[in-house]
Amino acid sequence: MAGDTVTIGAIVRRGADPSEVARGDLRVRMHLDQLQEVAGYGDRVDRFAIATTPTANIPKLIDRVNGIAFGFKAYRSRDIAVETSRTFQVVSRFHRAIGIITIVASSVFLLCIMVLKVEERRRDIAALRLMGISRATVMRSIVIEAALVAVLGSALGVALGWAASLLVNWHYQALYRTPLAFSIVTPPTVAFAVSLSLVLGIAAGVIASLRLVRTPPLALFGR
Amino acid sequence: MRAALAQASLIRHRARTVLAVLGVAVAAAMLLDMVMLATGMRESFRELLLSRGFEIRLAPKGTLPFDTDATIPGVSAITSTLRRNPDIREISPVLGASIHVLAGNRDVSGSALGIDPRVQGDYELLSGRDVTTPDAIVVNDHLLRQLGASVGDTLNVATGYDPQTRSYSGQRKLVVTGRVRFIYGASDQSSAAMRRETLEGMNGQSRDRASLFMVRVRNGANAEQVRDWIDKQLPNVTAISIATAIAQVDERLSYFRQLALILGAVSLFVGFLLVTTLVTVSVNERAGEIAVMRAIGVSRSHVVEQIVLEGVAISFAGAVLGLALGLVTARYLNTILSAFPGLPMAIDFFLFQPRAAWSALGLLIVSGIGAGIYPAWRAASLPIAESLRREAIA
Repeated sequence: MAGDTVTIGAIVRRGADPSEVARGDLRVRMHLDQLQEVAGYGDRVDRFAIATTPTANIPKLIDRVNGIAFGFKAYRSRDIAVETSRTFQVVSRFHRAIGIITIVASSVFLLCIMVLKVEERRRDIAALRLMGISRATVMRSIVIEAALVAVLGSALGVALGWAASLLVNWHYQALYRTPLAFSIVTPPTVAFAVSLSLVLGIAAGVIASLRLVRTPPLALFGR
Repeated sequence: MRAALAQASLIRHRARTVLAVLGVAVAAAMLLDMVMLATGMRESFRELLLSRGFEIRLAPKGTLPFDTDATIPGVSAITSTLRRNPDIREISPVLGASIHVLAGNRDVSGSALGIDPRVQGDYELLSGRDVTTPDAIVVNDHLLRQLGASVGDTLNVATGYDPQTRSYSGQRKLVVTGRVRFIYGASDQSSAAMRRETLEGMNGQSRDRASLFMVRVRNGANAEQVRDWIDKQLPNVTAISIATAIAQVDERLSYFRQLALILGAVSLFVGFLLVTTLVTVSVNERAGEIAVMRAIGVSRSHVVEQIVLEGVAISFAGAVLGLALGLVTARYLNTILSAFPGLPMAIDFFLFQPRAAWSALGLLIVSGIGAGIYPAWRAASLPIAESLRREAIA
């Protein structure tokens, strides 16, 4: 009956559905027969969801349904998901591009800091060279030091990133009222960040130490 | 003198200066992009809405224009009511519907607008002529390409597809009289326009309905006041002014603004940190030199100015390079975001505005000055005798 009175049975929260993000739609859930009655729909539905057996031949089944169906069409859930997730694919590509720019920025920053750090030790290195320590040993020690600094820095960065990720999720989950995870720190992400930092640190160490060990020790002292 | 000393100090360590400038440049590029993203999207949307001079839009109550299939009944009555307001100059009712163009075995679907060609504000005519007769239709390039048709061809156009019976409620032969560009249309959207009465007749709907009204107000009139007046006079419609439309878009796209704010702040901080580190290391290395300068009578303020100048010089060089880099990356990022499904072609997420460039440059210069303050303070407060003694021992 149209205009029927209903009792609120429960309060539900949104599912982790990206398509609902940033939409302020008000939603209620009812039993199908009750909604059909209230809306005056009769024995109609908007769509059917069909679960198949694990071994089912889905394309054949869809062809068969479409061959005999009258008034509706069958689609594979995966195809619908691809079509409806185009927005998120665009956002994902945008995030990737921003990520690349950020990596370039942090690479230059890291390289610069490492070069500065090594150059600060000009006098120590000059002293080591005057004491008879070989160029190779000096270089190795600088590279090891650079690698250690890079690993320590990236460990701190991972902790900061993890905290930032928690903050981002907390903020956007509250803003959009969704349990969707906006930022996830995964082992491959951590491995990538640490590896990149290590490679850059070692590269910076090699570049800076090469410049220093090629300079005569007395010149490093400013003589 | 100060500038010459600052320049000499930067040139002395070319490699590190170049690296620092590069670092600041990338941070500046990111900052400019984020300033453009934060302000450009809104400005671009505002320009789009104002492009044809219609400041107010009326949609069915509780909806946004073309957000649903709902329509507003009583176009004539609503138009008469609106005409009573002397501040309203022009009214353009628009009816929207899905169409199917039947070409042999093919069924090409698209969207159609029913308009009044004298007051329409939805498209620009690129070639041919407008829909001056009831059997005329104008289409965009995307639909023409899909159909392989051209101006002068006759199309079999149908509306009101019923999936239950796989039939159409209305079908009519229409002649393509013109090629148009839909101002609010997406690049991958097949669209057409015809006279509103033609679409109404095909749609099988009762006459005198519209999906949207676009209202142009008199020059100098307050659009917000007119909107309030419409709200009171017409309770079955939602009147949306440019300001309310922008507020709604802001709400939906707040994610991008917040992202821009966070990344912009991080970029600025990274640039600041880089310049501070570089100048601090440079000051530490030159402690003896600075002590000598102070010992021969060079004032503290002179030393401070020289150090701050070094920071500003690195920031400025990086900023100039970064602004150019930022424009290139902004174009690339805009290309990515313009692929949003259904986004009007004319919307730019990254819109270059001189104000944005000046803001980014200003922020970087201020950050450069800030970055030089700590090392400058350290340099100015060096104990002269002790520094000279340490330098002599070293």
